[in-house]
Amino acid sequence: DSHIQYERVGADVTMKCGSMDWDAAVTWTANGTDIDESHLNGSYLILKNVDLTQSGQYSCYEGSSWHLKYQTYLRVGTPPKEPVLMCRSNNYPKGFYCSWHLPTPTYIPNSFNISVIHGTREMVCEKDVFPKNRCHIRYLQLFSTVKYKVTLTVTNALGKDSTTLTFDEFAIVKPDPPESVIAKPVPNNPRRLEVSWQNPSSWPDPESFPLKFFLRYRPLILDQWQHVELSDGTSHTITDAYAGKEYIIQVAAKDNDIGTWSDWSVAVHATPWTEEPKHLTTEAQVTETTSASTSSFMPPPTTKICDKGAVVGSGAVAVCWTAGLVLAAYGVLFI
Amino acid sequence: MAAADSPSAALLRRDLCSRGIRLAGKMRSDVVELLDTYVERQGLDASASVAAVEGVPAAAAERWDEQTGTQRLLENLAAYRAFRALLAQMLEEQREQLGEADAALGRALAAVLLQVSAFAYHLEELLRLESCGPPSEEGAGPPPSPHLSLFERKLRGLGVLRELAQWAVRSARDLRQLTKPGPGSSLAPSPAESP
Repeated sequence: DSHIQYERVGADVTMKCGSMDWDAAVTWTANGTDIDESHLNGSYLILKNVDLTQSGQYSCYEGSSWHLKYQTYLRVGTPPKEPVLMCRSNNYPKGFYCSWHLPTPTYIPNSFNISVIHGTREMVCEKDVFPKNRCHIRYLQLFSTVKYKVTLTVTNALGKDSTTLTFDEFAIVKPDPPESVIAKPVPNNPRRLEVSWQNPSSWPDPESFPLKFFLRYRPLILDQWQHVELSDGTSHTITDAYAGKEYIIQVAAKDNDIGTWSDWSVAVHATPWTEEPKHLTTEAQVTETTSASTSSFMPPPTTKICDKGAVVGSGAVAVCWTAGLVLAAYGVLFI
Repeated sequence: MAAADSPSAALLRRDLCSRGIRLAGKMRSDVVELLDTYVERQGLDASASVAAVEGVPAAAAERWDEQTGTQRLLENLAAYRAFRALLAQMLEEQREQLGEADAALGRALAAVLLQVSAFAYHLEELLRLESCGPPSEEGAGPPPSPHLSLFERKLRGLGVLRELAQWAVRSARDLRQLTKPGPGSSLAPSPAESP
């Protein structure tokens, strides 16, 4: 008969060849490969201090006939350690979910059992299909001061462990981050960026349970964030952006009254509007200065920059004219 | 008085709800601060469990989303009338217990009591817009408290404030529900508008 045998890492394992006598002549194989006789005590197979690599199929054959007398699948693993459990409501007031994982793998199958108690009432946490280490509960009561007690027990063939979380209804409320964050420059406004976003789609009723928002932004070249808290609306105009600098912007959400802030949204990048240079020459580039607040770099004017149509700064014009006069003077000299 | 479904009544109702939501928000933050002060001054453990206390209206609601507007207002009004009496009793006990030694706690209790009274009045005004009007205050005082030790009274006070903090959150939600058109409001649906 074939069956599964679970053993702890480091254990000494003795396998009997079914009903064969101790002194019967047998051959053991592991995953089809003969096992050396040094591991045998009579017809018993002895594996000392097993490790994970020794998991596999072990078979015992009668010596002369090679009849299969016994087969087992050895699974080497560990008993579970205390699981990590978290519960959160991202869809308040509908309900909450709990998810869990083991801090270290056991290498053998585990089963999880979760119990949720609210006062004297035991509630059913329905397991999610995906991800599988998660279950959800619908609130039967709202605004209760009675705490929830969630106990998760993990069991495998080698042992079990459990953990318990106790919390208030309000404490676990944490929305998902805002969605569809968009940041755009504002035409003709070199210091503004218009940011808009949407409520997370998982938040079921933003009208009755409004969210407030936290926006943070900084130019890529700096580490310091600016922050703005917004009690309503899903848009905001940044008015103190550094002209011409690319910005990174994120938004977070929180229920107006209870719970904690969401994680930050996906970051978006935007650069405030800047005036296009009117003309560019093929030999050199001239950037115009339209106002004192622009930070574009002005290359020094050269004598070659004399395109008639170019609108250039006064310094460059003076050099252009000067160059023209010098050339004209030389021309006169050599005629 | 405007008819319950007239446009002026709808505007007045919306105005009362908006102000009530702001009042509930302020009340909640003041109650949370008062809770910290109370726990500290009374020498209690902030995480102490307090069993449901007789006479303290529980904010917990089943099928909250299915309540009508009138039900919401009536439940809120009954609760805040009860809290008004409970807080007055706590204030009296605190003065007897400590005299003027802890004026700060007394002032904080009195300030919250004032907000609770104002909110109860707000709810009465909202109910007057309904055809039924607010119920009379029969036997609105707190139930006669059994003889409690000083420690038991302190724990009871903790339970009162905790439940009041929950109510302040619930009340803001209830009033927002009232501003939504649909069966959750007691008036006929008004033109869609955000709360």
